[in-house]
Amino acid sequence: MSSELLDDPTQRVVENLAWKLRRRQIVGSRATALETLRVLHQVISDSPFSNMEQLVTIVRGVGRRLVEAQPKEHSVGNTVRKVLHHIREEYNTATRGSGSTTTSYSGFSISKFVQLGQPRKHTVLPKAESRGSLKENDSDDPDSFARSLRPVLKEAIQDVLDELETVYDNVSKNAPNHIHSDEIILTLGMSKTVEAFLISAAHNRNYTVMVLETAPSYGGRDMAKTLSTAGISTFLVPDSSLYGLMSRVNKVILGAHAILANGGMFAITGSLLAATAAHAHSTPVVVCAGQFKLTPLWNLYHEYGALDFGDPNQVLGFEEGSLVDKVDVVNPFYDYVQPDLIDAFITNDGDHPPSSIYRLIKETYDDEDNEL
Amino acid sequence: MGPKAASGKEKLMEEDEVLQAVILADSFDKRFRPLTTRTPRCLLPICNATLLDWTFESLALAGVQEIFVICRSHAEQVKNAINPSGLVPGSGIKIVPIMTAKETFSAGDAMRDVYTRGLVTSDFVLVMGDLVSNIRIDEVVRVHKERRKTNKDAIMTMVVKESGASHRTRPQGDSAVFVLDSETSECLHYEPVSAYPPTTMTRIPRELLEAHPEIEIRNDLIDCSIDVCSVEVPSLFQDNFDYEDIRRDFLHGVLTSDLLMKNIHCYVAKDGYAARVKDTKSYESISKDILSRWTFPLVPDDNHPSGHVYQHTRGNRYIATDNSVSLARTCKIGNNTLIGAGTKILENAQIIGSVIGQNCVIGAGSIIEGSYIFDGTVIGAQCVVKRSIIGAGVTIKEKTRVEKGCLVGDGVVVGPLAVLDPFERLSKRRDKTVVVEEEEDNDEDSDIEEIEANQDGASSILGKDSNAVVWPQGPSEDDDEDGIAVYKNQRIRRLGDDGSDLELSDGGSESSDEEGSESSGYDSSSDFEIPTTPSSATFLPSGAMGESEFQREVAQSLERAFAEGHSVDNAAVELKTLRMASNVSLSRVREAVVSAIVEHIQIVDGALPQRKEISRVIARWGALINQIGGIDAEETVSALQMHCASSERFPLFGQILAELYQADIVEEDDIRAWYASTAAKGTGLKAGPTAENVKRCWAVGARMIQQFDEQESESESE
Repeated sequence: MSSELLDDPTQRVVENLAWKLRRRQIVGSRATALETLRVLHQVISDSPFSNMEQLVTIVRGVGRRLVEAQPKEHSVGNTVRKVLHHIREEYNTATRGSGSTTTSYSGFSISKFVQLGQPRKHTVLPKAESRGSLKENDSDDPDSFARSLRPVLKEAIQDVLDELETVYDNVSKNAPNHIHSDEIILTLGMSKTVEAFLISAAHNRNYTVMVLETAPSYGGRDMAKTLSTAGISTFLVPDSSLYGLMSRVNKVILGAHAILANGGMFAITGSLLAATAAHAHSTPVVVCAGQFKLTPLWNLYHEYGALDFGDPNQVLGFEEGSLVDKVDVVNPFYDYVQPDLIDAFITNDGDHPPSSIYRLIKETYDDEDNEL
Repeated sequence: MGPKAASGKEKLMEEDEVLQAVILADSFDKRFRPLTTRTPRCLLPICNATLLDWTFESLALAGVQEIFVICRSHAEQVKNAINPSGLVPGSGIKIVPIMTAKETFSAGDAMRDVYTRGLVTSDFVLVMGDLVSNIRIDEVVRVHKERRKTNKDAIMTMVVKESGASHRTRPQGDSAVFVLDSETSECLHYEPVSAYPPTTMTRIPRELLEAHPEIEIRNDLIDCSIDVCSVEVPSLFQDNFDYEDIRRDFLHGVLTSDLLMKNIHCYVAKDGYAARVKDTKSYESISKDILSRWTFPLVPDDNHPSGHVYQHTRGNRYIATDNSVSLARTCKIGNNTLIGAGTKILENAQIIGSVIGQNCVIGAGSIIEGSYIFDGTVIGAQCVVKRSIIGAGVTIKEKTRVEKGCLVGDGVVVGPLAVLDPFERLSKRRDKTVVVEEEEDNDEDSDIEEIEANQDGASSILGKDSNAVVWPQGPSEDDDEDGIAVYKNQRIRRLGDDGSDLELSDGGSESSDEEGSESSGYDSSSDFEIPTTPSSATFLPSGAMGESEFQREVAQSLERAFAEGHSVDNAAVELKTLRMASNVSLSRVREAVVSAIVEHIQIVDGALPQRKEISRVIARWGALINQIGGIDAEETVSALQMHCASSERFPLFGQILAELYQADIVEEDDIRAWYASTAAKGTGLKAGPTAENVKRCWAVGARMIQQFDEQESESESE
């Protein structure tokens, strides 16, 4: 199933995570992304490789194994793609030197976009002085390639890790530009990103938040608690009053589970309802999410199963014996929210309209990794 | 996860004890026959993964680190089914198959085997090999260990799951009444409920109500058979060689024993799902539960125990994702259906609420409804299969009807144009050559031979190409006398049998019955009814001694104690043992003790020496009355009265009573209570010298009460 090149302890770490994902012992897009990074870090530091292809195959193999184990945690695949992207970048820098990466910026136009592929946005750090000597497939010393590349690769992973760890700060950096005084904001569910965003805005602005309870998980209750502890004037409102309240709401702020390439997203159940109600009232819908949630997938919304269904226990108690036999309960974790219902994505790397998400994805990942 | 984290984890494992689990991979019953004649029950597939795999996965979710699988029937098959690496994939759980002797006939025997092999070293989880669960057992273990810290006698925690009064997953013929202490959730009393004859009463020992201010009497719990046991449990099985069933014998034994002084607790799981495939009915309901995702994250599209990958589509339809399933354009797939890889559904076939295994073929125009079809089965055109379980590699030829509740064993060929009646059981006629090779399960073989011998004209119904034998319906002749009741009880547990032809209360009135039984439980404990052991038929204590024999034994044992001058404690222990052995109520013991003590008093001439003699005996032995377990002074007085009335020591009654009062064995209030009770006045007794004496005793009591009153008024006047 997974890459054959992996030696035993590394294999075990990968399998360990794969089964934890399968058994849902690790859930949530950020937690899974962090765990994936840890595994990749170990894979890169322990596996033997003597050229670029081998390295990419190993990392991809690991990625495939993890994604197969839990296709519904999209950030696992995203993290692997991102690491692959960084690996290639570091490799290119090391072999070509620092000068060559800037070439792709010239002559940028929409018509040439597809051929262009990757406009390199990350400016390369000036550390490539001695990298000209990088040797692949050295028969005398098969480890030399790995030895010389490993430190940079680890740095690359560290970069991704840093990005993950600063996601909340970076997303909420320009919160005051989005939330104005005396506004009424509506949100739902428990999203750490949204929470950080709202709390950060509260330093400069005085505004009101309405939090939907968000049945059946009732994450909204926790959210309301933390927000009001942070000193924001908060209302916890039942889901049913959403439409009635919408006319008074200035902005809807949502979290996301995964952002798809078409600009739509998967978000906690209830988001679609909120976004539709907002649409009817022409209320702006803003989504706060880290870029690790960008997912190069398009057609997922055709697939009913992609929504990830939980157990009916939260909706209909198991003790309702006479009903259990007669009623089929579906309890989806996520809603698919179409791009036309979303006005903007606030990410840790600037704000983007749904229509330009595809660009972001192209910049963040390499095309060849879309299928791991 | 870096190497640091891994080493940290190992360290953690060293500090913590390894959590062990014991799986009893044998059902010790025959409810799934003929499906289980060649495969053990734990290897039957449910939703296309074997029950054992579901159990492993359930335990893996719970953080178990080492699993012992106790296999008996078809032990080799079970052993082979276990991953050759001996690990549950991805979790590092070690699986050790344990082959136990053929003579292991019950769960109790298996537990004794666990003890003699010394498998478990610390608290362990005991489950059956047919468990499907997503309960966090580690949480239960934590609660159990926490409790053990303060109470060393808490030897076992049973996991039970709340369900309604009627629930598809709660087996009708195999539920039980649990009496729990509301505060500590200690299990105080357990009584199985049988569906036929319907149990309408439950008796709760009166002592429970005295000792526990608040109790819950519950009949809405699914017994998941997940027990967190301490190491004492196997040794208790070893000590009590007659324990067979974990619930009926062990649990009951521990709860009713005054000697063991062990506690068993319940963990009422609010979240999570757990159930056992105990019979074909629960097979059906657990299949449904899995398909409707109650077992999440243990669902076909997410964490299928056999590693199959299914795609989940609207209406809980699961279809294998590897594009090997071929569905005809005109076939209909209903809700709550699972279709395994490589299966072909031909034109106009309908699959409704069913599970189809791998590599099956469902013929054109066939209707499969609520059925479970194992791997590699071929169903011909225009067949109808309803609510049945069809084994692996079965061929059902065209235009055959299989009515509800049928079990068709592996490899059977039926049809064409056959009609199977409801609840028919079929298995494959064995080749004579094979018979010689199959050496194991001699008893089962003889059964099968008998069945094969009794096949007259069966093949005419089964179609001309059939290789099947029909199993007889109804109770077999060699069952004991209550076999019919047992059979009727069992048949309710069959797939598709709603027992409507048995005179049973339906689900709605059943719940009211239960309430009735609960209140009657209260009644029996508040009035003077003797709290005997539960009277349901399943529960008759074997080898109970007769009452008179018991009386004699007590008298002898006390005589010995008097003669040899035992301490009161020792005598009390001896009495308790006797009571256990003969299974009589506490009041009988009390009567016996009181009479023995009274008889021990010598009759001496003269008032003063007589009084001395009485006070000597009471001082020496009076304490025994209250040490036999449970104090009930009022009963003591009436026992004294009854005994004196029929004894030559009748004249001593007043003095003995006074002496008991002096020795604080009975209090003033008790005497008053006795005096007020109707029994003390001798009403309802047959006229005669005894009744006369009883009345006179009562008169003595009246004088005593008078004295008390006088004393009181004196002290008041002072």
